[in-house]
Amino acid sequence: MADQVQVAAEDESGDRRLLEQAQAGDMSAFEALVERHRDKVYGLALRMTRSDADAGEITQDTFLSAYQHLSEFRGEAAFGSWVHRIAANNALMRLRHRHVVQAAEEEMKSPEFNERGSFAEYPATDWSRRADEKVLDDELRRAIMQATDHLPEGYREVFLLKDVEGLSYEQISEVTGDSVPAIKSRLHRARLALREAIDRFYNEDLKR
Amino acid sequence: MFTCKESVDLLLQFLDGEMPEEEARHLEEHLQACPPCVDFLRTYRATPVLCKRALSQQMPQELADRLTQFLRQKCRK
Repeated sequence: MADQVQVAAEDESGDRRLLEQAQAGDMSAFEALVERHRDKVYGLALRMTRSDADAGEITQDTFLSAYQHLSEFRGEAAFGSWVHRIAANNALMRLRHRHVVQAAEEEMKSPEFNERGSFAEYPATDWSRRADEKVLDDELRRAIMQATDHLPEGYREVFLLKDVEGLSYEQISEVTGDSVPAIKSRLHRARLALREAIDRFYNEDLKR
Repeated sequence: MFTCKESVDLLLQFLDGEMPEEEARHLEEHLQACPPCVDFLRTYRATPVLCKRALSQQMPQELADRLTQFLRQKCRK
């Protein structure tokens, strides 16, 4: 954990240095910033829109917009969260112009309880330690991707912005226009649904 | 004391550290007496960690090259 914090701090100070150079007109410094952040921006756009073509275009528009507004960026926030917010805005705008069949909220899985409010089933396996394993099982990765894609849009975007991109509730509220309590409620339901999907994966794995 | 259902409903708030002291104490009391809820809390907390790892994505090289070309063209205008 301490190593991760140190790497994040070094990344941020590297970003700040490159940003100053880019703001002074150094195009190669801007390209270096793009290279550092393009995978995360592309990944966010891909998971939000579920379209390779849209994700490619959103990534282009995001970095072009970042370049055009470089002089306005004062550096109060990290460069990474700034571009992720631009990308999230771009993705949301696209999604709102697109009419796709939504997964229904009622289909979202959550734990079941009996009439006394206790778990209907005792969780069969505690897989929490698997989160630290070095190699992530490909089948688990696919199960998580599928479950994420299956979340209703408003839930998926909140989950991706908070838990994958690390934006704060207030930043997500700015991007989506939703209230912080509404965001927290959707995040909780999204986590419960994804927890169920991972739980099913490990419990089926046990039965094999 | 809280039920399992009430405890699960409060997990986000609990993990964010935003729960009023008294409610947090009630929840901790429930957790001390309820192993299924402790397991649930652990897996609930591990969920975003696993998901973040599973969803990390590398931009395909061809697209990355196209992005560089696009930006060079647009930003030098």
